[in-house]
Amino acid sequence: MTGTAIRIDAAEIGYPGRTVLRDLALTIAPGERVAVMGRSGSGKTTLLDLVYARAAGRAALVPQQAALVRRLSVFHNVHMARLDRHSTLFNLKTLVRPGRREVAAVRAVLDEVGLAPEIFRPAGDLSGGQQQRVSVARALHDGRPILVGDEPVSALDPVQGSAVLARLAARHETLVLALHDPALALAHATRVLVLDRGRIVLDAPARSLAPADVAAAYGAAEPGASGHDPRP
Amino acid sequence: MTGLDRAVRRIGFTGVSLAILALGIAAAAVGDFAVTASHPGPELLRMLHGLLTPDLRAVNLWALVDTLAFAVLGVGLGCASGFVLALGFPHLAAIRALCAGLRSVHELFWALLLMQVLGLGPATGVLAIALPYAGIFAKVFAEMIEEADRPALRVLPPGTGAVSAFFYAGLPDLIDQFGHYTLYRLECGLRSTLVLGFIGLPTVGFELDAAFKAGAFPQAAALLFSFYALVASRHVWARPWTVPFLVVGAALVLPAGLPGGDAWQNLVRFATRDVVPAPLRGADLLSGAPWAAAFGWLGDILRHQVLPGALATLVLSQVALCTMAALALALFPLVSRRFAGPVGRPLGRALLVVVRSTPDYLLAYVLLQALGPSMLPAVIALALHNGAVLAYLLGRQADALAYRADAPRGANLYFYETLPRLYGQFLAYALYRWDVILRESAIFGILGVATLGFYVDGAIAELRLDVAAVLVLATAALSLGVDALSRALRRALRVEPGARRRGGATSPPHLELASGRQGMTYDGT
Amino acid sequence: MRTVAAVLLAGTMLAGVALPGARAADAAPGPTLVFTAIPDGDETRLVERFGKVAAYLQARLGVPVRYVPVKSYPAAVTSFVNGGVQLAWFGGVTGVQARAKVPGSRAIAQGAEDTAFRSLMIANRGTGLEPAPDLQPAIAGRTFTFGARTSTSGRVMPEYELRKAFGGRAPEQVFARVGFSGDHSRTIQLVQSGAYDLGVVDPSVWDLDRKAGRVDPSKVSVIWRSPPFPDYQWTMRGDVDATFGPGFTRKVADTLVGIDDPAILAPFGRSRFVPADNAEYAPVEVVAKAAGLLD
Repeated sequence: MTGTAIRIDAAEIGYPGRTVLRDLALTIAPGERVAVMGRSGSGKTTLLDLVYARAAGRAALVPQQAALVRRLSVFHNVHMARLDRHSTLFNLKTLVRPGRREVAAVRAVLDEVGLAPEIFRPAGDLSGGQQQRVSVARALHDGRPILVGDEPVSALDPVQGSAVLARLAARHETLVLALHDPALALAHATRVLVLDRGRIVLDAPARSLAPADVAAAYGAAEPGASGHDPRP
Repeated sequence: MTGLDRAVRRIGFTGVSLAILALGIAAAAVGDFAVTASHPGPELLRMLHGLLTPDLRAVNLWALVDTLAFAVLGVGLGCASGFVLALGFPHLAAIRALCAGLRSVHELFWALLLMQVLGLGPATGVLAIALPYAGIFAKVFAEMIEEADRPALRVLPPGTGAVSAFFYAGLPDLIDQFGHYTLYRLECGLRSTLVLGFIGLPTVGFELDAAFKAGAFPQAAALLFSFYALVASRHVWARPWTVPFLVVGAALVLPAGLPGGDAWQNLVRFATRDVVPAPLRGADLLSGAPWAAAFGWLGDILRHQVLPGALATLVLSQVALCTMAALALALFPLVSRRFAGPVGRPLGRALLVVVRSTPDYLLAYVLLQALGPSMLPAVIALALHNGAVLAYLLGRQADALAYRADAPRGANLYFYETLPRLYGQFLAYALYRWDVILRESAIFGILGVATLGFYVDGAIAELRLDVAAVLVLATAALSLGVDALSRALRRALRVEPGARRRGGATSPPHLELASGRQGMTYDGT
Repeated sequence: MRTVAAVLLAGTMLAGVALPGARAADAAPGPTLVFTAIPDGDETRLVERFGKVAAYLQARLGVPVRYVPVKSYPAAVTSFVNGGVQLAWFGGVTGVQARAKVPGSRAIAQGAEDTAFRSLMIANRGTGLEPAPDLQPAIAGRTFTFGARTSTSGRVMPEYELRKAFGGRAPEQVFARVGFSGDHSRTIQLVQSGAYDLGVVDPSVWDLDRKAGRVDPSKVSVIWRSPPFPDYQWTMRGDVDATFGPGFTRKVADTLVGIDDPAILAPFGRSRFVPADNAEYAPVEVVAKAAGLLD
């Protein structure tokens, strides 16, 4: 499954009265795994939104907040990723009474993130980390070739985070992820982008970088601003 | 930005308040607010005595059950159809117009019109509540949907149908808000149902009317207390799991009432004869003469009924609005912890809940009996009921304010800390209440104050439904006008719900209400 | 909390099951003759009065008969026009209104007193007004209440006399304030309490309320009696014979005229019923038309 590249070429991007990104020229080729880094407010989320919009239906999204429907069960939150593949009538029926096949499919995905036992609990009852994993499961269940994730493992410990990123990499051809942990980024990405005040200040293959280079690129802007300990 | 926006922003909260107050004073000067009864004292004393010596034998359990049944079915039907309408509300101007029309006509007027077709049967009672409530529900639900933060919508796969998207990513997070709001509306529905009894539906109001007319105040008091008990216990019997039982039970017990005859035949007669302007009835519509006559007919109604009625309605509602506002500002400390203390607050709260649970129509009816016919009883009734609603809401807001540790106490706290911070919300709520007060003012005409309802009552007594229809439409137009003005003012003052996102002051009362705690009341009657 | 709710709910359900049965009791086989009446006075009395009539008619006619109370004069007329009721006890004006709307309907019986009915004007003692054979100029400028808007003795006929006595001026121009109390008992209460100085009432209601001890003679008294006019009557829809069989209307009229039980007549304030016909009400119709109440 090879898609076309995502191209972004823009002088200024933002909201009325506020420019977030400047002088942006970026191409993401199919199969790339891009880690977008930078301190908060540097424009990461805006860039990811842009990538998601350009991907035009070929991307699944893991937004920064888990974006779950708290009243619905974990099952329904994950099943949401495939609403477009069924008729409205079937979706409404599934809302009231899920079919066996759908439950099995969702359970398999939840198993990958270690949440299978929670399948019928209301999403609002879960812990922050669990909610984030539901959000990831939803993207896995979606299965579109591109995954756009905004800090998809921020609430998980490094071991769990690493496992989840591996799952995403296995399922999706192309990854574009905002991450704040340089070690995780270098371990799972093939390319690292560092943003500072709306400009790309570093764009390099991951294998050419050491954690210290990444830390220098955005640690220099404001040491420790990521709030997470960037390992040396 | 319109001219109004600019003007309003220049004069600010103070300017708008003073303008409304000035209009209120002017209205008070032209209106008739005399105590016309020669000895109001003894009559009031007899009422008070009755209130203290309720005759519990007068309580009719069936009338209570019927009241509940009408309210449950009316509000239920209004809620269901309002929900469906809410889905189309943002997209179709026709739906918005329909909803505005439905809610601009008071349930009593709906009942009077429906009676002409359906008689005094159960359908009249249920529809009289359901029709205006559907319009209100649609608007409020649509606002809730619009205001809701629904992050899950973003992650739905592209190409998801709108219906699936709404039921998965929208409705589940809104259902609690909808539930709270519907529960609150049920309380309003109970009050509306009570009032419908005064025109003949077999609810507690039917018996209250009889008791008051006969001067049997102990019986009236007992009936009133039984109604309070029904309202106060709503949190016990109105729960998510009781809803199916309530609806089925209500449908089963709904009284047969007065049979209406052949509804279809009556509808045809109503639509093709009764509401057709008299000069056009059976006339040759291709010739000019009937149209000229109809024009004159309409002009006559506008000059002699709509104009004086509308003026009286505006005068009454303006005075009532100002009195309500003053009363709310004076009363809200009663339910605020900082002012009333831990002992006073529950008492104040109980007082306001009782006043709020008493329909203003009933209050006006009783006061009219004691004080004699003028606008005074109507103003007192409107100000008390709506003032209690507003004070309750403001008291809650006052408790939510974060005071500094060394904040002053008493009057200094009130004028330096509390009032300045609450004033925007207060103004928003008062303006929200404006068109509600206007509709009620029009209705009070049925009790004898010369507002629009007085002329509607007259037209119906003379069986001139064409005239009644014109008058009801005029009332609806007036209500819509005031609603639009209120909305424009709130927007200009930036106390509109949308302002919240722009860092403004307040969310609309029904959202306040739906945000959780019980016992809230606002929007509508 | 939950237990209370359960108990309440059980009660409601029980009501749901028991009530239709209880309320369906009067749904005997065959059509039911349903009648109503203009609510001209105290409701308890109306229920007593018409409950007795219903029982009497049911026994004599052999069909189920049911009385349904309404809250206003127009509601009584509307239910007659809509076919919700087949028979009604109307006042002069409401009868004319109803018969104009329902072709074929007929006045079939009236009280003996109704052939020459008179309105009474009553005054609060505080006004110092004394009884007089004519409408005295001293009543001008007072507060005044009618009964219902379409009441014959409580509005239409007295207004006609008032206009005659005050040079064609409308009551609103004669009095400081004009109200519509809704019914005669209430007019009496309002004048007695001083809410209004003056009012006009139906003599039969006045007598009944007096006998019931609800009139305080030290506070309110009669100051004028109007000239006579025809008033209350029983009116039957024209389609009744088609439903209940030929001659049914005749039979109802005869049954009403045949009532001689004082227990039934007394709550009406009538000595007996006599036959009536539509033509007798022509004078009322003329006045109502002149007053703009009828087209």
